[in-house]
Amino acid sequence: MTEFPSLPRLRAFGIALVLFPGATVLSGLAAEPASDPETAARAAAKRTYETRVVPFLKTYCSACHEDKQKGGVTFRYAKRDPGSPAFRSIWKTSLSNVESEAMPPEDEKQPTPEERKMFADWVNGLKYLSPKDPGAFVIHRLSKTEYGNTLRDLFGVDPGIASELPDEVPGAGYLNSISPVQMEQYLDIANKVLDEILTTDGKLPSQIESQLFGPVPATAKLSEESIRQSAVQLARRTFRRPPSDSEAALLVKVFRLARDNGKSDPESLLLMLKAALVSPQFLFITPIPATGNAPLPEIVPLDDDQLASRLSYFLWATMPDSTLTDLAAAGTLHQPEVLRAQVRRMLADPRSRALFDGFGAQWLGLDKLATKTFDAAKFPGMTQTLRTAMYDEARLFFADIVANNRSLTTFVDCDFSYLNETLAPLYGLEKTVTGPAMRKVRFTNENRGGILAMPGILATTSFPNRTSPVNRGVWVLEQVLGQHVPPAPANVPSLDKQDQKTVAGLTLRQRTELHRTNPVCANCHKILDPIGFGLENFDAIGRWRDADETGGTIDPTGELPGNLRFQSPGELKRIIASRSADLCRNLTEKMLAYALGRPLEGYDEIVVDQLTQTIKEDNYRMQTLISAIVGSYPFTHRRTKE
Amino acid sequence: MDRRTCLRGLGASLALPLLDVMAESKAAKPPVRLGFMYMPHGVIMNHFWPTSPETYLTSPPRNLESLKGVLEQCLLMKGIAGVNPAPFNGAPHALELSTWLTATLPNADRRNQVNIAISADQIAANSIGAFTALPSLELATMPQTHKENQEGLHEAYYSHCSYSSPTQALPAETNPRTVLNRIFQSQGQGAQPGLRRTSDPLERSMLDLVLGGAKDLRSSLGESDRHKLDEYLDSVRFLERRIAAIESRQAEAAKRAAGVTSTKRSGSDSVPIQVVIPEGDRRSDYMRVMCDLTILAFQTDTTRVSTYIGSTPNGVSYPELGFTDQHHSQTHHNNETEKVDKVSKITAFNISQFAYMIKRMHNLREGDGTLLDNCIMMWGSGLEDGNAHSRANLPFILAGRGGGSVRPGRFLTNTSGNQGDLLGTLLTCARIPLDRPIGIANKLLMDAI
Repeated sequence: MTEFPSLPRLRAFGIALVLFPGATVLSGLAAEPASDPETAARAAAKRTYETRVVPFLKTYCSACHEDKQKGGVTFRYAKRDPGSPAFRSIWKTSLSNVESEAMPPEDEKQPTPEERKMFADWVNGLKYLSPKDPGAFVIHRLSKTEYGNTLRDLFGVDPGIASELPDEVPGAGYLNSISPVQMEQYLDIANKVLDEILTTDGKLPSQIESQLFGPVPATAKLSEESIRQSAVQLARRTFRRPPSDSEAALLVKVFRLARDNGKSDPESLLLMLKAALVSPQFLFITPIPATGNAPLPEIVPLDDDQLASRLSYFLWATMPDSTLTDLAAAGTLHQPEVLRAQVRRMLADPRSRALFDGFGAQWLGLDKLATKTFDAAKFPGMTQTLRTAMYDEARLFFADIVANNRSLTTFVDCDFSYLNETLAPLYGLEKTVTGPAMRKVRFTNENRGGILAMPGILATTSFPNRTSPVNRGVWVLEQVLGQHVPPAPANVPSLDKQDQKTVAGLTLRQRTELHRTNPVCANCHKILDPIGFGLENFDAIGRWRDADETGGTIDPTGELPGNLRFQSPGELKRIIASRSADLCRNLTEKMLAYALGRPLEGYDEIVVDQLTQTIKEDNYRMQTLISAIVGSYPFTHRRTKE
Repeated sequence: MDRRTCLRGLGASLALPLLDVMAESKAAKPPVRLGFMYMPHGVIMNHFWPTSPETYLTSPPRNLESLKGVLEQCLLMKGIAGVNPAPFNGAPHALELSTWLTATLPNADRRNQVNIAISADQIAANSIGAFTALPSLELATMPQTHKENQEGLHEAYYSHCSYSSPTQALPAETNPRTVLNRIFQSQGQGAQPGLRRTSDPLERSMLDLVLGGAKDLRSSLGESDRHKLDEYLDSVRFLERRIAAIESRQAEAAKRAAGVTSTKRSGSDSVPIQVVIPEGDRRSDYMRVMCDLTILAFQTDTTRVSTYIGSTPNGVSYPELGFTDQHHSQTHHNNETEKVDKVSKITAFNISQFAYMIKRMHNLREGDGTLLDNCIMMWGSGLEDGNAHSRANLPFILAGRGGGSVRPGRFLTNTSGNQGDLLGTLLTCARIPLDRPIGIANKLLMDAI
């Protein structure tokens, strides 16, 4: 099937997909020299920068964009370290300006087409300026959800016990820091947990006690050795790894502190437990401290315990279970086949719904649904019950694709979803779908099925009182196809600011199409608008309609660049689904960033190239995507120095 | 190595023994408090600025109507310029909040990380925060979860204005109940319903040990990881100090109960206000309770510095005003009457919450005057006009007398200065020593203020 060409100015990452046939995804566990094509490409990118890009900038850009900072744009900083992720957006913006010939300005000296192409190729190959690097692995702090779930697994308490912690940006690049307020809350919450689970005589329930401390002898006074063993077991359980000698010794000190202050042994164990729960080793996923004075290599594989935690928090948002802990203790978890088998096992476990709550909901924008404002007069049906049902529909749909290892294209093009009586009226299926339970429903209507036609998503991309074709178009490009849509250029009136006389009597569609008569706008809108208007049959909460608010009949036909015509949302879905490589790259990038807990940068782009190749070879299957991410170089390695 | 040596190695300085600094003399004047309250996107200029100094008190502009009755307590200074945004022209909304209290641009070389400057409220917290159980209070209406990175800037810049160091953005509290609990705890009143029992003295020593234990871990981490761990260690250190402060307050409360006069409050002071956490989610109720908490924290001397991000630059609408349009979309109004009117209403709404707080503070007795007399409260925005993203005349309102250092009741039409000058001046009025200018500052405005 033909694919419509992507606009260069819309690309988030380069178009050049350089593949390394020899690279297998799970090969990264032993430190290995960078493959040759990478080294060569790196040298070439450096050379091009020095011999061609620097003179290009000097000739065409520097007069305005060096010291003068015209329009706030300067290459002064980016030139110092052109490969730095800090300047990605500057290079990408320059690329779109140079390619669309918006820059240099008309009355200035113009580069030749060949020079423009050289600059574009270089920007697209920027990734090669990055050395092989798993990224600055900022020790992962447990998010609010992860922390709550971990307390649940340790103590059997409701994870909501952590609800007083501040909300945080989930996934890639959230503020992985800790504030004084939070620190205090951690101590409070630890106390609250104990208040909740301690028996009336102030003891831990025996099962929890033996999980935390191992077998505690019922003697009047614990021996030094028993205290030490309790400390080691406590650390294993709460730090999710064996402690170093000094870490164990520290917990013993806390015990003594309590005992020296007249506390009983059970009370002293509780203070030790509290200390563990506010320790960095509990609140962060940390490596076992190195012993001895030998300096660590610059990049090291994660130890198996750290890998078990990373994997468990990625797929389950909680601490590793005993299977993972045992494999880590046996030292076999990092073996590619073991790791793959664990991914399969974990995805089949109900705890894997965390992958939707943490990643899927954010990717699809559904995390905003519960609090989004809707015009109550226009959409009185938009209750919390309906919002919950919308969220659950997307969650079960996502889970279906994961559990059945379906192709990623299923997200866009498929004929099923999950409905209950609350959702059914939005689909016109209230006669056949009854009862509050969500169940799988196959559609005969080809316009339904998939995320483009899902009420929750159609609602989050709308304004409170009406649909927004532009928002929907942007959403499809950015969230589904992974393109970056630049904000509207300054000084262009938005729809509502058009001269009221010119637009009188025009439909929303006709008014929006005025955008496309302006060449600056047309570039993006010729893709955005057809997609958005192709979905206009769905109202602002996802119901089917044939006419819009003004009573005008909706025209769902459209054409995308490359002569791709469609007559209905169903046909539009198929065109979007045919962009399987873009879908795959987008989902790989977004999920890798989530798994790593940081934005992608530099070398990651090369990793994504490799991953997408592996995933493509297995027909874009969802579990392959997840396995490939878990086995990837940045997921399995960490940097020990800057 | 003991913990203190270790901490010195980490470059952290230890706080003074707390009981010494808390033992202030009885004759001392009430302390000066500093409060900041933020609204994004600028204002409609001719709805905000008075037409002339003469008419300022008698016929204030429409945005200031809610301040009638306390305009004598307010100072308006036109002519304070914001930071020049270049090279970040494409990111006006990341800059408006992050530059508001720093008067500095993010570091252009490290724009994808948090790398800016300590903010004015935190400079104050480092100084006068030593006297109180909480060095400062950071509040916000919206969760700080906005994700965007125009010009490659880190997403934290969109929702944070308080920075405890160039690289640490301070999260703000959005749950009023948590804030109320913190104030009660700080007052040594741990026995409030729903609160945990009073602090266990052993916990402080336990934290001390935990701090010491982190050092092995630190040595096997990479540089950025060490940085994270250091933030953690700072937080633990802060918590230790706070527990000490609570213990001291508890001791004081016990003395009071035994009939010994408190050193903290004078007999003529108003009793601490009652704060009721509202049910439901009306924005005005929510913002008022946050204002109440600020008042209570100031009144009880739980803190002397408070920053309230009343609204953030992303997706915020005000259904209570009868329309659901988002604030940002309306500020690009191109002088269309309907949108101008909506922006103006949103501005007036935000100012009326500030006015509520000011009026309440003006009615609380403290020392020889009112609580407001001993405060400097600033309401403002990081943009002049959201339509053009301009920053030549930042809109802001000062209220209070700063213990006699500020002369309110005036409208200054042409103050020549910038955001850094203003912040430095406010801190100086609160008797906070500055070891360097704040951001782009090049002078103080002591004559004007």
